[in-house]
Amino acid sequence: MTYTREQILAEVLELLNGVARDWEFEGPVGANTRLFADLAFESLDLVVLGSKVQEHFRQTFPFPQFFADIGQREVRDLTISEWVDFIERHVRQPVAAASRAAGASEGV
Amino acid sequence: MTREVLLIGLDGATFDLLDPLMEEGAMPVLRDVIGSGVRATLRSTVPALTPPAWTSLVTGRGPGSHGIFDFFRKDGESSPLFRFLTSHDVACPTIWSFANSAGLRSTVLNFPLTFPPPKVAGHIVPGGFVPWRQLRLGCHPEGLFDRLRTLPSFNARELALDMTQEAKAIEGCEEAEYEPWIDMHIRRERQWVDIARYLAEKEPADFTAVLFDGVDKIQHLCWRFIDPKMTGALASDWELRVRDKCREYFSELDRRIEELLDVVGDEASVFIASDHGFGPQVRTLFVNAWLRQTGRLAWQPGEAPASVGATALGLNQMARHVFQMDWTRTRAFAPLPSGNGIHIVHADQTHPHGVSADEYKAFRDDLASDLLQIRDPESGEAVVARVWTREEIFTGPNLSLAPDLTLELADGGLISILDSPDPARRRPLPTGTHRPDGVLVLAGPGVNKGARIQPLSILDVAPLLLHALDLPIPPNLEGRFVSEALDPAVLGTRPPRYSDDGPVHTPEMVAAELDAEAESEILRRLQALGYVD
Repeated sequence: MTYTREQILAEVLELLNGVARDWEFEGPVGANTRLFADLAFESLDLVVLGSKVQEHFRQTFPFPQFFADIGQREVRDLTISEWVDFIERHVRQPVAAASRAAGASEGV
Repeated sequence: MTREVLLIGLDGATFDLLDPLMEEGAMPVLRDVIGSGVRATLRSTVPALTPPAWTSLVTGRGPGSHGIFDFFRKDGESSPLFRFLTSHDVACPTIWSFANSAGLRSTVLNFPLTFPPPKVAGHIVPGGFVPWRQLRLGCHPEGLFDRLRTLPSFNARELALDMTQEAKAIEGCEEAEYEPWIDMHIRRERQWVDIARYLAEKEPADFTAVLFDGVDKIQHLCWRFIDPKMTGALASDWELRVRDKCREYFSELDRRIEELLDVVGDEASVFIASDHGFGPQVRTLFVNAWLRQTGRLAWQPGEAPASVGATALGLNQMARHVFQMDWTRTRAFAPLPSGNGIHIVHADQTHPHGVSADEYKAFRDDLASDLLQIRDPESGEAVVARVWTREEIFTGPNLSLAPDLTLELADGGLISILDSPDPARRRPLPTGTHRPDGVLVLAGPGVNKGARIQPLSILDVAPLLLHALDLPIPPNLEGRFVSEALDPAVLGTRPPRYSDDGPVHTPEMVAAELDAEAESEILRRLQALGYVD
C-alpha cells in the first residue's frame, strides 16, 4: 500500500478523535479544524502529537523546522489539513509498493 | 526466584529538608525506612537536571552515552533548532528494558522520557511533559487508559501535564493560588499510588517504579516556606498557611510511601531516590544578555526578548527564540533555560560567521575565562562558580549533542535566556533550584542495615537495581556495584553476576530508520534490475 492524502487524513483524524473524547471538546474534528483556536492545543500538544505521528509512520519528520515556521506566522495556528499536507510531503512510502511493482514486472 | 523491587522516585528531594521533616515527626514512615536500611547522598549528573539525571539512574550510563542532556536536543550538530526529547532518544537500555529482556514485568509510572511508551511487558503511564489531553496515547498497553479511568480518584488533567499549572512552579503565581496548587499535587501523588495499587492487584509486576514529582515543583515555588533556614522570617498569616500546606504535602507524601510499601510487601527490595537535590537561588544570570554585551550574540532589531519583571521563560516562547537572534552576528548562545548550557555557533554554509575549527579552542577558552569574571552587582562576588567544557563532564558517542560549555552558578541556580540591561540581578525573594546532592535510601531483606555509605554517584543505582532483580550487570554500566550497601551474608549467597553485554538496545525510531535504509537498499536493487523507475 502507499499513503494517499485521504489515508493520512483519515489516520490523523482517527488519532485526534481518539484523544478528543477525553477532553471537553464536543464539536466535529475535520480537515479545517484549527489545532490551537478550535482544539485549544498548546505548543506541547503539537510536539507530542508529532512524536506519535513519527511512531505511527516509523520515521522521523522535520518537525523542528515545521514548528519553528508556525511560530513565525502572524497567526500561530494550523489546520488539520495543513498538518496532513506536511506529513504527505515528507512521508516515505512503504516498500510494499515497490515490491508489488517488482512482482508485476516479473509477471510480465 | 526473583524478588519484587520497588523504586520510589522523589524528584528533587534533599536530606536538607527531609531530615528536619523527619525530626519534626512529619515523615515517620521515611524515618523508619531509613532506620531499617541504609542512606546515602546521591550525586547527580552535570547538569543536575531531571531528564539526564533520571535517565542516568535508570540506565546506569551518563548523558554522553544515553544522549539526554536536557529537555531538548539540537536538531543537528550545527542546527540552531532544538527539538523535544522522547523515549526514542534514549540510546541505552533502561532497567525496564533489562527486566523485559529477562521475561520480567514492570510497572513504570510518571518517569520522564517514557513517551511514546516502550513496549515492555507490564504497564507504563508516562511522566514528564506529556500533556493531559494526550495521556491516552502514552499509556501502555493499549486500553490501559480506559481501565484507569474507572478508578474513583482518576483525573487525567491533574495526573499528567497541564501547562498552566506546571508553569507556576517556575514562573510563580498569585498568593491565592499557592494553597490550591499544593493541594493539587497532594491529589496527584494519591492518584499515582491508586494506579500502582490497582495494577499490582490486577497484574503484579516484578519491578515497580513510581515517581512523585510534586517534591520538585513545590520546592521550586515554595523553597522559602520550607527551608528551615528561612522559615523564621515568615510572618504573615498567608505565609504561615503556605508553610503549613507545604508540610502537609510532605506528610501526605510520607503516607503515599507507606501505601506503596504495603503494596509490595515486606520481602521487596526498596529503593527511594531523587534525581538531584535542592537549594535556594538568590540571583538571576541573564547569560544571553551578557553574551550580547560582550559582542558574542546579537538580536534582530527590536526582537530582544526583554525581561520585564519576569526572569523565567515559558515553553511557548522558547521555540521562537532562535528567530530573534541575528545569526550573522551571533557566535555563542544559550538556547534553553534548563541546563545552563552555552552552545557555540560552528562556521558552516548556513553560518559563515560562526566560529571556525581553527579558532574554536581559543574562542571557547576566552568565553569560559570571561564568564568567571561576571560579578554580582551588589556583593561583588563571582556569579559563575565553574565552567565545564563538554569533554570534562561527558564521554560517549553523543558528545557532539552536548553544550560546548556548561555553567555551574555560585548560588546553584539556573540561567535565564532572556535579555536584560543587567546581566546579573538579585531576586526579590529567593526561589528553589536544583543542587547536585540528592538522596538514596535502600531497605528490605539483604540490605546492610545501618552501614555508613559514602556519597554515591547516580550511576551507582542501576547495578544495585539489577542485582535486586537478580539480573546480570552489563560491563558497560558506568557506575560501580556498591557492595557495602548490602549484607555480606546475602552477597555470599547471591553475589552480583556480570554479563558479557546487555540486551541489544535498538530505540524504536532507530529501528524504523534502519528499516527505511533497508527499504531504500531494496529499492536501489530493484531499480538496478529495472523493476521500478
